[in-house]
Amino acid sequence: MSFSHFIKSMGNGEVESELPKTILVSLLSSFGILIILYFISLKNITDFIPKYGFFLFFSILTYAFILPSVRHVRAYKEFQCMSGMMIGMTIGMISGFLPGFFIGGTNGMFVGSLFGMSLGILFGIWNGKCCGIMGTLEGIMAGFMGGLMGAMTSLMMFNDNLKFAGIVVFVVSSAILLGLNYMIYTETRGGERKHKDDEFFVIFWSVLLTIITILVMVFGPRSALFQ
Amino acid sequence: MKKTTLYLFMTMALILIAGFFMLNGSETKTSNVDSTIQKGEFQKVVIGLKNYNYYPNTITVQSGKPVRIYLDSSVVGCLRSFTIRDFGVAKYLKTPNDYVEFTPNKKGSFRFACSMGMGTGTLVVE
Repeated sequence: MSFSHFIKSMGNGEVESELPKTILVSLLSSFGILIILYFISLKNITDFIPKYGFFLFFSILTYAFILPSVRHVRAYKEFQCMSGMMIGMTIGMISGFLPGFFIGGTNGMFVGSLFGMSLGILFGIWNGKCCGIMGTLEGIMAGFMGGLMGAMTSLMMFNDNLKFAGIVVFVVSSAILLGLNYMIYTETRGGERKHKDDEFFVIFWSVLLTIITILVMVFGPRSALFQ
Repeated sequence: MKKTTLYLFMTMALILIAGFFMLNGSETKTSNVDSTIQKGEFQKVVIGLKNYNYYPNTITVQSGKPVRIYLDSSVVGCLRSFTIRDFGVAKYLKTPNDYVEFTPNKKGSFRFACSMGMGTGTLVVE
C-alpha cells in the first residue's frame, strides 16, 4: 500500500488509472472552450491575455487537478467518518482557496471571496457527504474559509509578487490533492467500486467552470483597486 | 502503464503549449514623455486621511516632472506603506517627513494604494 503501489495502480486499469486521463480530458475541454470563446469574442477585449491570461491559465489547471479527486471520491461513494471529513475538508478548502485567489487577483476581494466561497462550499458538500453530515459540515466550513482566505491572500499580495505566489500556492495545493488521492487509494483497498462516471462528467464540469470563471473575471464587478 | 505515460506526456505538452500563449505578453500603456525639467524642481503632494482612506484620493500631476509624495501625521497603520504599481513605487513612509519620489513618464490615470490595497486613490498624470 505504499506510494509506489499507488503510482503503479495508475497504469493497471483500477479506478486510479482514470486520474491522469481525467486531468488530460479536463485540460483539453477547458482550453478548447477558451480557444472557441477567444476567437468568437474575447479577442476584442483589450489586453485580454496580458491581463487575464495568467489567472485564467492557473484557474483551468486548478479545475483539472480538482476534478480527478472528485471523480475518485465518487467512484467509491462511501467512506468512514475520518476519511470523509478529510475528503470534504481538502476538496472544499482547495476548491475555495485557489479560485478565490485567482479571481481575487483580477477582481478584488469581494468578488474573489464570493466566487471562492460558492465553489468551495459546493464542492465541499458534494464530496464531504460521502460520510454523512460530518463530512458535509467539514466541507461547508472549509469551502467558506478557503474562499475568503484565497481572495484575501491575493489582495494582500497584490503589490508583492502576486503571480509568483500564485504559482507556489498552486504547486502546494496540487501536492495536497495528490496526497488526498493516495489516501483514498489506501482507504479503499478491498472495497468495491460503486459508481462510474464517463468522460462527459469531466467535460461538462471543466467547460462549465471555465465559462463561469471567464465571465466573472472579465465581465464581473471589481473593486476600486482593480479598475 | 503505457497509456498512463501517454496521458501524462500529453498533459504536460498541453500545459506547456497553453502556458506559452497565456503567460506571455505585457499590458500596453500609452507613454508620452514631454518637456525637459529643470534640475531640483519637483511637484510636492501631501496626502492625509479621511474616512479611513487617503485624502485627497485623486491627485493630478504633470508628466515628466519629478513628484514627491508625503503622508501627513493623520495617516496611520498599513496606509503608511505607500505604493504606485505602475511607477514601481513602494515605500514605508515612517514619518511625515519621509517621502517617495518618482518621475511620471506616462500620461493617464494610475491607482495608488497602501501595500494591502485597503486605502486607494487615483494619480492623474497630465
